[in-house]
Amino acid sequence: MPSYDTLIIGGGHNGLVNAAYLARAGKKVLVLEKRHLVGGAAVTEEIYPGFKFTEFSYVVSLLRPEIVRDLNLPAHGLEILPLPSTFTPMLNGDYIAFWDDHEETHNEIARHSRKDADAYDEYGRLMYHMAKAVRPIIGMIPPDPTSLSPNDLRGMLKMGMHMRGLGEEKFYQLFKLMTMSSGDYLDEWFETDALKGTKAASGIIGTFMGPRSPGTAYVLLHHYMGEIDGAFRAWGFAKGGTGGISNSIANAARSFGAEIRCNAGVAHVIVKNGRAVGVALDNGDEIYANVIVSSLDPKRTFLKLIDEKELPNDFVNDIKRYKTRGSSGKVNLALDALPNFTAIPKKEMVMQTLRGAISISPSVEYLERAYDDAKYGNFSQRPYMDMIIPSLIDPGMAPPGKHVMSIFVQYAPYNLNGGWNNEQRDAFGDAVIDTLSQFAPNLKEIILHRQVLTPWDIEQITGLTEGNIFAGELALHQLFFLRPSPQWANYRTPLHNFYQCGSGTHPGGGIMGAGGRLAAMEILKDSK
Amino acid sequence: MSHSFDFIIIGAGLNGLTAAAYLAKAGKKVLVLERREIIGGAAVTEEIFPGFKLDTVTHNVAGFDANIARDLNLAQYGLELIQPDVSVFAPQRDGGAITLWRDDAKTADSIRVFSPNDATKWRAFRERMAKLARVLDSIHALTPPSITTTNPAELFSLGKLGLQVRGLGKRDMPEFLRALPMPIAELLDYEFENDLLKGALAAGGIHGLMLGPLGVGTTYNFLRGVNDGVVRATTFVRGGVGKLADALASAAKARGAEIRTNAHVVQIRVRDQRATGVVLASGEEINAPQIISSADPKQTFLQLIDPIELDPTFCARIRNIRTRGVFAKMNLALDALPNFKNATEEQLRGTISISPNMMYLERAYDDAKYGNISQQPYLEITIPTLLDPSRAPQGKHVLSVWMQYVGERLETGDLRLKNEQLGDLVIRTLSDYAPNLQSLVLHSQVLSPCDLQEIYSLPNGDINHGQTTLDQFLFMRPVPHFANYRTPLEGLFFCGAGAHPGGIPCAAGRNAAREILK
Repeated sequence: MPSYDTLIIGGGHNGLVNAAYLARAGKKVLVLEKRHLVGGAAVTEEIYPGFKFTEFSYVVSLLRPEIVRDLNLPAHGLEILPLPSTFTPMLNGDYIAFWDDHEETHNEIARHSRKDADAYDEYGRLMYHMAKAVRPIIGMIPPDPTSLSPNDLRGMLKMGMHMRGLGEEKFYQLFKLMTMSSGDYLDEWFETDALKGTKAASGIIGTFMGPRSPGTAYVLLHHYMGEIDGAFRAWGFAKGGTGGISNSIANAARSFGAEIRCNAGVAHVIVKNGRAVGVALDNGDEIYANVIVSSLDPKRTFLKLIDEKELPNDFVNDIKRYKTRGSSGKVNLALDALPNFTAIPKKEMVMQTLRGAISISPSVEYLERAYDDAKYGNFSQRPYMDMIIPSLIDPGMAPPGKHVMSIFVQYAPYNLNGGWNNEQRDAFGDAVIDTLSQFAPNLKEIILHRQVLTPWDIEQITGLTEGNIFAGELALHQLFFLRPSPQWANYRTPLHNFYQCGSGTHPGGGIMGAGGRLAAMEILKDSK
Repeated sequence: MSHSFDFIIIGAGLNGLTAAAYLAKAGKKVLVLERREIIGGAAVTEEIFPGFKLDTVTHNVAGFDANIARDLNLAQYGLELIQPDVSVFAPQRDGGAITLWRDDAKTADSIRVFSPNDATKWRAFRERMAKLARVLDSIHALTPPSITTTNPAELFSLGKLGLQVRGLGKRDMPEFLRALPMPIAELLDYEFENDLLKGALAAGGIHGLMLGPLGVGTTYNFLRGVNDGVVRATTFVRGGVGKLADALASAAKARGAEIRTNAHVVQIRVRDQRATGVVLASGEEINAPQIISSADPKQTFLQLIDPIELDPTFCARIRNIRTRGVFAKMNLALDALPNFKNATEEQLRGTISISPNMMYLERAYDDAKYGNISQQPYLEITIPTLLDPSRAPQGKHVLSVWMQYVGERLETGDLRLKNEQLGDLVIRTLSDYAPNLQSLVLHSQVLSPCDLQEIYSLPNGDINHGQTTLDQFLFMRPVPHFANYRTPLEGLFFCGAGAHPGGIPCAAGRNAAREILK
């Protein structure tokens, strides 16, 4: 007799959301996490005494508001602090900034181009409408278009009606966004290089494509879909770092009776007669349950935890060709003081600027060249970077007077020529610091500690295959009913009683939690 | 007011002529106006050098729908298509080569030398691609439906298409939807291991596009080049591609259509939101109740029509159509057949593809995306005289080279200054594969994107009048709301390659005529 209704493999945010929803519905749930702490790629760790790093994922905007509500996360410690601005220093010493105040942003863009300032408002409106148009799809179980089952046909119909309901104009706009490159798309709107570079950057995050690759305009939209308290477009920082989000979800799950066990890596899934019946842990313990859910990425789930023989050939091939190329790294710094970005024109602007995000994305061409390095197997000599200084937003992140800086870096290919080693990791870290020092000359002098994470490190620590932060690339052919594999996009798998709920399922990565929630709905449906 | 013509068609390219022939066949009185002294548009055969008949721009009409030839009785008007047994000969520098034949077994034999693994996979791959391409063929023959349509006929055709896509089955239907937005490199890396084979196939994915094989949507472009089950098929016209235009013209004229060359339309007259006629460069005005333009969308709507007659949003969209000059054309008259290392004459009868591996193509694209000419370009070569000796004096040959990429932005300089440089680059590149080429050249002609625009009216030198990428596909082509060959102006239609399905020989002209006759 199994001792649990459900075992969830992996205590990342999706696993935890899944656990919380199932526990809330009265299931007896056990979450198994390989590491000593929950959160997966959404963790905060004190790597150097007194300095808390948001090690991997560092900002939040995509977390589904219904999850925040359903699980009452604020009561369990979730607090989102605003990240009000983005500041892009330019190579010529100037800058472009996007503030939370509409008028200020308008004036700032107009300083570069009046035409762009006007277009920016219209662009924002269109993106808002597009995000609204996509929202219902994000919250939908992808129907299988090849299936004739009433559920799938109903899903297809719903989807068709939704598309028709958008009206022709919005449908075409959406189609364009789905198929164009972010570079081409932005060229239709704007003329200022640094504006286009900064906007295009959000179209390439987590992908192994350059801003001139078609399909990146969609990722641009994906990043527009953030909602905090119902407000579109806002990015935020969780108090205590992204680990704070994971902890609040874990707390919610526990409050509903879920059990969470850390230091409990799963070695493999136990399959009997085509049914998943339990898991074997790294230490040899076996645990049995009626339902097993994996929140790991599809490759790790199906190619590492399960014997290929238990799965249909076609399915295994689909998972093998599912693309998970890691393309980004992370550099976390402990700082003795604040960096002096020379592009900040006035002293009184310094704190306001540093409290927001700083983006190294002076032009679309800069990003494209960074990609060129990566596509031939090298890390970018002049990478795209997105950074924040969490200690300015949440003083608890560093000792008084000191700071932590979180730098997202792209591109760094998982399959580096010659492979990653200590030397290459250092060289990558140096390329980041050198590039940044051009904009903040005192940087090298104020670094107390430096943590460099390559895609290889990300894979080693978090388990994400190839270090892909979205647990599978957000490419058009890996979305919706194709994510992670045709016919198995509804969180079920070819194995009975075995489900998937990670970012490798619809609707994909970012700290969204949608996969965990939708999978829980499906599991509950099946258990009726 | 009575008119001498029911329709005026602007441009006597393949699409304009096809539309003319179909309309004439339906009993309409048609006048076709062509700016140049010869018809054919980009599908012309010109005797630039005495005795040598060169397909100056397009040298391959694969994808031409045989139904059109049947509908219009083109065989009777002299059309004879030549389909070589070989589709692609892909050499590498050191002398080895892979040859893709119509015959799967022969192809597999050729691949086996490089990779026994890939050889065993060939037939299944080719058949699956053929299956997916057949669905695309049906889509290409369709008038793009409006997604919000309530028109029963459109709903029916949408439904039929839906059934056909579903008919692909549990495996191939998702495969089809997954393939369209996939980079061709990803598809091929999954299927095959040999670089030369992958390069030869990937070249079909980038043909005419400002994208490398890593670009999303190149699989769609690759599938466009799978015709009648043949991957990267080559189809010649006996006497040159111009003979296809001639046959269409004859078919149209036999039904009473009139075709005037040296008749350059400079303006479409509009009155009360209605096209009423055209004005020629000579000042002559010709009126007709219906005007059909086969010129590209930018020229049609931004140059021939007074902007005041059109909605600014519509014009902005037309301006945003992505037209990219990516290729140059080099045509050579040769004293003898060049000596491709280790190649038999038979292997050279289709397309010769200089595309040794996918990264070669990607690097060629890298140069172009920053506005430069590829230092090591992709070349697609045909030697039509091998199957059609009438094209050159006895014993001599014509060699036609499609060179990609030329990334120079047209507005940044006069590309013609670079023609010599382009020609040298082509000869130098090709000499690695056919060392005696240089010594055989009797005459040569280079057409840069600038020339292609000026002489052949290809916008920016884009052979398809707009990139055949997914964002400019089906109901997005040429612009949303007007993908059904109609325009915002009453009495003005559109039938060029800028419309769905792009530069597939005669397809847009046929689709437009069908729509106009409704």
